[in-house]
Amino acid sequence: MHSDNRITIPIGPQHPSLDEPGRFDITLEGEKVVNAVIGVGYNHRGLEKTCESKTYVQNLYIIERVCGICSHAHGTAFCMAIEQLAGVTIPKRAEYIRAVVAELERLHSHLLWLGVACHEIGFDTMFMYTWRNREKVLDILADLGGNRVNYGVNTIGGVRRDIDADMVETIRKALDALEEETKHYVEIAYTETTLISRLKGVGVLSHEDAIRYGAVGPVARAAGIAHDVRVDEPYGAYKEIPVKVITDTHADVYGRTVVRILEMQESINIIRFCLDNLPDGPLSVRVPRRIPAGETIIRVEAPRGENIHYLRSNGSDIPDRVRVRAPTEANWHGMKHMLEGGYLADVPITIAAIDPCYSCTDRAIVVKSGAKTDCYDWRGLRQYGIDWYKKRGIDVTALKV
Amino acid sequence: MTHDEAVVTALCKKFPFLSERISVQREKRIFTKPLTPEEFQQIIPYVHRELNFYRACHVVGTDDGDTLGLLYILTDKNNTLLILRESVPKSNPVVKSISSIYPSILLHERELADLFGVVVEGLPEGPRYPLPDGWPEGNYPMRKEWNPKYFDKNTMTYNDPNVKEVK
Amino acid sequence: MISFLKMLLAAFIFPGFLFLSVYSLVLDFIDRKLYARMQNRVGPPWYQPVADFFKLIGKKTLIPVEANKMMFRIMPLVSLAAVAAAFLYVPVLGQDAVFSFDGDLIIVLYFLTVPPIAAFLAGWYSRGVYATIGATRILTQLFVYEVPLFISLLAPTLIAGTWSISELTAFYAAHPLYALINLPAAFAALISFQCKLERAPFDTPEAETEIVSGALVEYGGRLLAFFKMAHSCELVLVISLFSAVFLPFMTGYVFADFLLYIVKTLVILLLLTLMRVSMARLKINNVVSFCWKVLAPVALFQVVLNLVIRGSLQI
Repeated sequence: MHSDNRITIPIGPQHPSLDEPGRFDITLEGEKVVNAVIGVGYNHRGLEKTCESKTYVQNLYIIERVCGICSHAHGTAFCMAIEQLAGVTIPKRAEYIRAVVAELERLHSHLLWLGVACHEIGFDTMFMYTWRNREKVLDILADLGGNRVNYGVNTIGGVRRDIDADMVETIRKALDALEEETKHYVEIAYTETTLISRLKGVGVLSHEDAIRYGAVGPVARAAGIAHDVRVDEPYGAYKEIPVKVITDTHADVYGRTVVRILEMQESINIIRFCLDNLPDGPLSVRVPRRIPAGETIIRVEAPRGENIHYLRSNGSDIPDRVRVRAPTEANWHGMKHMLEGGYLADVPITIAAIDPCYSCTDRAIVVKSGAKTDCYDWRGLRQYGIDWYKKRGIDVTALKV
Repeated sequence: MTHDEAVVTALCKKFPFLSERISVQREKRIFTKPLTPEEFQQIIPYVHRELNFYRACHVVGTDDGDTLGLLYILTDKNNTLLILRESVPKSNPVVKSISSIYPSILLHERELADLFGVVVEGLPEGPRYPLPDGWPEGNYPMRKEWNPKYFDKNTMTYNDPNVKEVK
Repeated sequence: MISFLKMLLAAFIFPGFLFLSVYSLVLDFIDRKLYARMQNRVGPPWYQPVADFFKLIGKKTLIPVEANKMMFRIMPLVSLAAVAAAFLYVPVLGQDAVFSFDGDLIIVLYFLTVPPIAAFLAGWYSRGVYATIGATRILTQLFVYEVPLFISLLAPTLIAGTWSISELTAFYAAHPLYALINLPAAFAALISFQCKLERAPFDTPEAETEIVSGALVEYGGRLLAFFKMAHSCELVLVISLFSAVFLPFMTGYVFADFLLYIVKTLVILLLLTLMRVSMARLKINNVVSFCWKVLAPVALFQVVLNLVIRGSLQI
């Protein structure tokens, strides 16, 4: 471990600053990072392999669970891919509802990130405040979809949940409150000295390096690259919604913080625009179960950046190949560059600044529980559910699909 | 002429073998038909330097029966996606790494090596991704013939009753 | 014989060790509650610190194979003993401490250095990577805040002309206006104390998200309980010391003075908690430059100021 004044410390796979397992072997000279080895892949769950053995409808639920935070972005991309291959156009209203949920998701993701980032630099007060505000967004999402994270709003050919007049009022009220809070965060980001001193000049990924390492999302935008799929290649309701791309020139963690805070304000504006212009009409159209053979690539702007889905169908009701490129996967490449030359104290915040989502990156090998009795595998869980309802007089197996 | 068509024309002019094998699928999506590794290696530097496709988003591996398809997704400032499809035989899947030109493709190339068993030449040293360290040799989960049903997680062995002896 | 018993009573019961332990639990609770309320949280119930202590006592103590067993076991007690001993020289009940002699301020300052050193040794002999880095940070931090802390605590003695805390308090209680002169030193001392207590924004040595919990990462069970106890006792000690040196206002009635002591400590705790709530953790290099560039000059300015005043007033 010790050799000529250098210490290698492992950050991860289990470490308080990581929300999910990942391994960063940091070689230190004093407090300075001289080398970083990045190991990800601990969350490989075999989702893509699973998708090749299930129908499109079943896959929608799997794809939503690629990531807990940007579940809607993945779901939307997958639905759009299927709709594209099937050649259907979804109703306007569905597109707008998708956009509303997507922006709510961005709000909740950015608030979550802001809290985590503040926790990483030991500013727990801000962490508590942002997470309290995040609850407001989660409440709306729970009202809207029934769940706090995997809302399940999307369905192939449209959406499953409607936004009625009451809901519009609730959202508006919550947005007004959130807007006030966001102003406060902007003020903190511009004035709080300890915060700025911890973030400025940390984890720098310059404009050229961001291009070289293919950074996406807020990491790229903080380096002055005006790259946002909502504007570059508008999809769904974004063809009509005016979106302002937020960029910054700091190219460091501070820039990423400012970009995310300002994006929250922009998201609030977008949701207001959507609610004002919510068109009438049906929520979904019928899509055949068998999708014509073909392949397509869909890009969607997730809260963390550009999300790419590849879908190849072979004419049956089961996809031939599903591939998900989550935004974090693109941002890992610049990480080594960002970490080296910095200080140990900056490592957690630098890692956190790309808003890493390890599950997203790793996705895909079915890990079954061992022989433990308190764990269920999928079959066992299903049987448990069936028995649970049977005891209460509902026989699920009698239903014919 | 749209930007997409301009890219197609430029590519066809430089590489005559591409004509008839490249097409605009829809706006901002240019697909090619399967290319051999040699053809692919010729195109990459040109696309990177002359056509300014600055960012490699992704490599998608596909199992096409006897061959493996590798879809390299590149993008430029106009957000046109150029999808170069490379095809290698499953029995001898050897490609050259392009991570020296596009550093942002490293993780995806490692993934190809792990999940599809593609031998990527010129891959820099580093931890494997995404499979665990004790993963048995010769098991490539994303190939169609690999069935998770026959994999025993506890012993980390793959026992396919249909195949007698795999060498 | 009676006086000896009285002394034992004072040393172990009130205002000695027992009072110190109980009051440390009280202040610990108030600190956590304030911290929680300022963060918009509910906060723990009043018995939480007690419950935490007894829960830790009941846990199994694990000692790493590579650690030096004796040092590993002994350090929490060294830390606690130093704090408890130092507390006897700080006036709690009225103006007089349990023990006092001319120069006890220096002794207390040296005792105050023991807990960080103990934590450093504990971390160093745990032989873990995180513990080693945490220990190095403790030592780095010790070297930078010790200088402004010593200077700012010794500056008031220049006017009072004594190195005994009790006499210092008595002098300033008699001349309350003189205490106002020491405000710059009070500022420097308050921040140095925050630094000494390793509370945010100076919690670099135990930065949870960087080095897990620094020097004490390998500790658990009984040994950790004593370290925690020593730490909260240290909080009481530094707050009492601060109120004795910089807020020496007295009524002259013992009971009222004790109430005043409680009020003073609570006010100082509020200031320390506010500091903890409103700032992000500093990096170790920022701590070093802050202590040298801001705190040390302020403390030195106080020394010069006090020398001038002493000369002009001819005290």
